[in-house]
Amino acid sequence: MVELPVTLAGIKLHNPTVLASGILGVSASSAALAVAHGAGAVTLKSCGAEPRLGHRGPTILPVPGGLLNAVGLSNPGAAAVAHEIRDFRGRCEVPLVASIFGRTEAEFGEVAAIICDAHPALLEVNVSCPNVSSEFGTPFGLDHDATARITRIVKDIAGTIPVFIKLSPQAHNIGSLARRCQDAGADGITAINSVGPGMAIDVYTRRPILSNLSGGLSGRAVLPVAVRCVYEIAQNVSIPIIGTGGITTPEDALQMILAGATAVGIGTGVHSTGISIFQEVCRGLSEYLEESGFTGLDDIRGAANDR
Amino acid sequence: MTVEMSTYVVAEVSQQADLVKTIRLLDVPTAMPGQFFLIWLPGIDEKPISVSNQTSAGTEFTICGVGPWSTAMLQVEAGDRVGLRGPFGNGFALADNTLLVGGGMGVAPLRYLAHRLMEEGRSFDLVVGARDASSLIFREEFGRWGARFATDNGDLGHVGTVTELLSEMLRLRAYDSLYACGPEGMLAAVRVIADEHEMAYQLALERLMKCGIGLCGHCCMEGSGLRLCVEGPVLTREMLDGTAEFGLPHRDGSGRRRT
Repeated sequence: MVELPVTLAGIKLHNPTVLASGILGVSASSAALAVAHGAGAVTLKSCGAEPRLGHRGPTILPVPGGLLNAVGLSNPGAAAVAHEIRDFRGRCEVPLVASIFGRTEAEFGEVAAIICDAHPALLEVNVSCPNVSSEFGTPFGLDHDATARITRIVKDIAGTIPVFIKLSPQAHNIGSLARRCQDAGADGITAINSVGPGMAIDVYTRRPILSNLSGGLSGRAVLPVAVRCVYEIAQNVSIPIIGTGGITTPEDALQMILAGATAVGIGTGVHSTGISIFQEVCRGLSEYLEESGFTGLDDIRGAANDR
Repeated sequence: MTVEMSTYVVAEVSQQADLVKTIRLLDVPTAMPGQFFLIWLPGIDEKPISVSNQTSAGTEFTICGVGPWSTAMLQVEAGDRVGLRGPFGNGFALADNTLLVGGGMGVAPLRYLAHRLMEEGRSFDLVVGARDASSLIFREEFGRWGARFATDNGDLGHVGTVTELLSEMLRLRAYDSLYACGPEGMLAAVRVIADEHEMAYQLALERLMKCGIGLCGHCCMEGSGLRLCVEGPVLTREMLDGTAEFGLPHRDGSGRRRT
């Protein structure tokens, strides 16, 4: 049995699977459920300064090949999330990633201050939610300058807490955007957020099903997009990457790691494979390493980039 | 289970009380009692509703108008279309020699359970509570099965709570286990009584649900993290033992704990 420990910007994970933001993670208890099923780290759902109810239903909709979602950044507000972080840290050993968003660049800093006070292991900065543009305007994550500015604002506040910037696959030249984040002080990159956005229409009522009309696509169908993004980012930065998007099997996770990811985010797979996905991916990774004669994930990380 | 959304024509609408109606849909996937579907009313919202009966004549959902979605659902007429995803959740395990305890709208899934127990020839008794006689839905059906009723105002049957009636029934004879669905305060009282009698139980709970497929985390119980939409909504003693928020305020749509 080959062990799977990884170090993510100085934070030790006993395995590379990370519960992705937006899946469970509403509360310490829901995040702990993923820990109980083997997750190496967990990410909480993104929070902003104030409580938000999000969009009306349907907000989450399975479609062939994946899932459309437009939850609308529902969250109980940073102060309540800070409480959940403390609760989690009192109960679980595995690293917790807190995820933040802001309606303005300054708000990213305000939210980061409240959250960092609760000492998450890592801070993820969600500049790339595709589902609130009617309210927030174009995601900051599509604008390289704005993303770099937000990175700097958050990093100044986070201090020693590593800061990961979560990027959108819709960003132009994601490799160079990741480089801008690194230059602005980011300790890591999470890629990718959901794809599209997409739309599903009910043919009998002849209307879009999601209340937000459109929503980000996740799940198996987006894996190739995510792998390509992680591959390009890895060629442009030296900071670690949490490769997220469509991981359903151990082979999917391997593709991410071969593309250059240090850890792998798992979200929609919690539905398509089940909550056992963390253990199943780890078992498959371990078997692969053993069969191929490798001693750890460090032996294969980014191997597809070396050719 | 159909996780993707499909729309169905409403075959029939019937009314059980002032603000309570039942819609019947055809060709809905087979569900166990206690399982639920997410029902989409286009342009309004999507909410989880348990099956109140399922036969060859169709699948019924009973809805009480309390908020924007359910109030709009009361306007739905035969021929309209609603969307469905499901069935979701674990449902009740069917057992012999049981006592069913229902309160308020919680009687809807127990109605389907009772139908299924009858079909399978499993013996059961039934106690049902409501505010008053006019809000006691499916009274005739329950009456045919020998149900005993409790009303807060004494309109019908026992004057007081359904859990008082439950205690009385347990003094009269022994049952192997309890099923219950209703307001969480009622369920908490049922649990205490079941513990006193060292009886097995299956309690159907309710929480806000956005996805129905175990992803959004809104229906995770404090403590255990159990997802009511996947591991629940029917919880046994073993499942409830690790749960901290039973009978207490829970999360709203933002994820905030109500106090």
